Amino acid sequence: MRRPPARRALTAGVAGAAAGMLLLSACSAGESVDLDGADGDATGASDLPVLRAAIAGEPDQLDPQSTSSYFAFQVLENVFDTLVEPDENLEMQPALAESWEVSDDQLTWTFHLRDGVTFHDGSDFTAEDVVYSYDRIVDEELSNAWKFAAVADVAAVDDLTVDITVSQPTPNLLSNLGGFKGMAIVEQGNVESGDITTAPIGTGPFSLASYSPGESIDLVANPDYWGGAPGIGGVHYTFVSEGSTAIAALQNGEIDWTDSIPAQQLEQLRGTEGVEVGTSPSNDYWYLALNEANAPWDSVAARQAVAYAIDRESILQAVSYGTAEENQLAIPEDSVWYTEYDEYDLDLDRARELLAEAGVTTPLTLDFLATSDYPETVTAAQIIASNLEPLGITVDIRTVDFATWLDEQNTGSFDLLMMGWLGNIDPDDFYYAQHHSDGGSNAQGYSNPEVDALLDAGRVETDDDARQELYAQAATTIADEASYIYLYNPSVVQAWSTDLQDYTARSDRAIRFRDVTLAGS
Amino acid sequence: MTGSGALRFLARRVLHSAVVLLGVMVVVFALVHLVPGDPVRIALGTRYTEESYQALRAASGLDRPLLEQFVSYVGHALTGDLGVSFRSGEPVTTTLLQRLPATVSLAVVGLLVALAISLPAGIWSGLHEGRLSDAVVRVTSQAGVSVPDFWLGQMLILVVAMTLGLLPTSGYVALSQDPAGWARHVLLPGLTVGLVAAAIMTRYIRTAVLEVAHAGHVRTARSKGLPPRVVTGRHVVRNAMIPILTITGIQLATILGGVIVVEVVFAWPGLGRLVFDAVAARDYALVQGAVLLIAVLFLVVNLVVDVLYSVVDPRIRLS
Repeated sequence: MRRPPARRALTAGVAGAAAGMLLLSACSAGESVDLDGADGDATGASDLPVLRAAIAGEPDQLDPQSTSSYFAFQVLENVFDTLVEPDENLEMQPALAESWEVSDDQLTWTFHLRDGVTFHDGSDFTAEDVVYSYDRIVDEELSNAWKFAAVADVAAVDDLTVDITVSQPTPNLLSNLGGFKGMAIVEQGNVESGDITTAPIGTGPFSLASYSPGESIDLVANPDYWGGAPGIGGVHYTFVSEGSTAIAALQNGEIDWTDSIPAQQLEQLRGTEGVEVGTSPSNDYWYLALNEANAPWDSVAARQAVAYAIDRESILQAVSYGTAEENQLAIPEDSVWYTEYDEYDLDLDRARELLAEAGVTTPLTLDFLATSDYPETVTAAQIIASNLEPLGITVDIRTVDFATWLDEQNTGSFDLLMMGWLGNIDPDDFYYAQHHSDGGSNAQGYSNPEVDALLDAGRVETDDDARQELYAQAATTIADEASYIYLYNPSVVQAWSTDLQDYTARSDRAIRFRDVTLAGS
Repeated sequence: MTGSGALRFLARRVLHSAVVLLGVMVVVFALVHLVPGDPVRIALGTRYTEESYQALRAASGLDRPLLEQFVSYVGHALTGDLGVSFRSGEPVTTTLLQRLPATVSLAVVGLLVALAISLPAGIWSGLHEGRLSDAVVRVTSQAGVSVPDFWLGQMLILVVAMTLGLLPTSGYVALSQDPAGWARHVLLPGLTVGLVAAAIMTRYIRTAVLEVAHAGHVRTARSKGLPPRVVTGRHVVRNAMIPILTITGIQLATILGGVIVVEVVFAWPGLGRLVFDAVAARDYALVQGAVLLIAVLFLVVNLVVDVLYSVVDPRIRLS
């Protein structure tokens, strides 16, 4: 999934009219947030404190299968379940499916569902719900339909058993089914009434109590959750896109958790009493891509020249204040799929040689497509412009909004662009769509039959070691030929009150509140 | 003014407004479709299939000819149906009405703050031209105009919310739900909007008062030996009310139209942020609906100001 908008502004003689209100308000200062609407029909709502979380933007809607917004998934992570789900090491664990097995020919996966699970409205969760949910994604051609490319059929064997038939061995089926809540099991009635966009019903640890567009979303704990009732009474989400405001609210004790944090304020935040800053290397990555449809970037040597000319260290510092990890391949170091690779050191002489080898005549102008929606692309573009200047390459930075950016990328009107990919788990997620000749996201136009063969083989290889070997080979070839020039894996950075216990910032950015407790308040 | 005259005036203004609104619809519709950026692609992210793309395009009616889309849009708009938000699937009218209270809250509080400061300051300054107090007002308002609203907002958060601990840093509570909570939350953004508007309005009001103070009839009144208080109250301020009303109307309409930066700083769920997000997502129906609503608000404010003109100055007829 393309990184969705996951981002993120005294003088005063107070007038007489305002002063009156100030007095009025001072009296009630410090009261906690109440869960309006949840009070009346509370289904055994506990007296446990409610967690107040500020996320950096508002979900576009709350249908997990339709949205592609990270803000929606931050909420829906706690409302919905998938068949399997990643643990902290991103290995798939039982969730709605208690166990599963694969047939000897690798073509039939049988999932045994958890018994006694109910949706938030009290109805039973059965195999039919799984079939309905998956069929919906395929039939309505929702944006995640590609995850079912290898799936031939989904069928209920009995109430608690589901068979998934695939057309070829699919070792990454589990990560496709459980990698994120876009593959959540939804309820048919909730979908058909259309309520799912604002009042979704799931099987998760929290149920939606109310949604006030523009303002807040309230979740209450689901006492009947199959994994046990949560240790907090609920979650109150607000949408605070201005990072400094979110941090002020956290320091002021108005919220307990946020991920709306400007990198430059991280140091100051780390020193704040009562605030815990959690960072985790993420499995997202940022890269540069040169458009191979435009000469001279169709030449491997010319692309390598750029790779040798850029100063990764400076880019890293400027965009992340040192929180990101430099990486010259896509997969981060702590993943089991990591491959070591550090070919491209800053070396201008080598870059000049390569340009000469490619027969490039300078001066040359390069069109850098950046987007204001991801400020890191603009910052990096400025550094890259000064990096390439000594080579006789003038970088024209073109900054557009993300909607235009997508259009320009798709129509190939760029020489160089920078972007990130987020939410990758299986190595196939990291490489296939981006570098296979038939890949759906190969905007740079890379095509190498050898890499295609490796990526095709990786899709069906069921032996982990053999698979690792295939992807290591594919990845190093991709980097050698500079299909992407990899830059870094950013860190997940979140901050919370020290009252919040047992919370961890996860490398897949899943915001899970089911196991946390809240002291104090 | 006679009753029928007023009615005729209103009828004409409503007709006039309808024409303006139709024009707004045409322009906005054309503009949002001309801006590059495909809403379907944005909604799907990038890792989708061609079938997904076509399916969503068809489902949202974006595959129909533009003219057909426009005619159907205007037809529905006449019945109050502004279409469905492309991203959320919610009726646009519902979304807009949900946002309106927050926008009106902020606008009203902001305007009250602005008037409370700019009326006395501007009038005083105009009447004391060249004195020290006039200079203080002029310098302060000049500084106020130059201060960016996001900075002012953040300073207010820092001082009032964090250091003094008097008010919350951000957020919104509906007035109908909890009036005290509403007041606590609206004050800081309201102050920010109000202080910025006050700086602008003070300068206008000062100029308006100055102009009247130099006018012939005021000089005549003074030379007749009328007491200064009467000259000021009956002649100067009263006659300056027309330009004051005008600038107040303009400021109100501006705030209603969206103060995006302030809304972002204070996480305020107003129309400005809604439009901003909707444009970013190319959510056509929502952008069109929101601009239409803002245009209506402008027209209503204008109409009210026009009516108030005749109240302030009976020589102005509603005709």
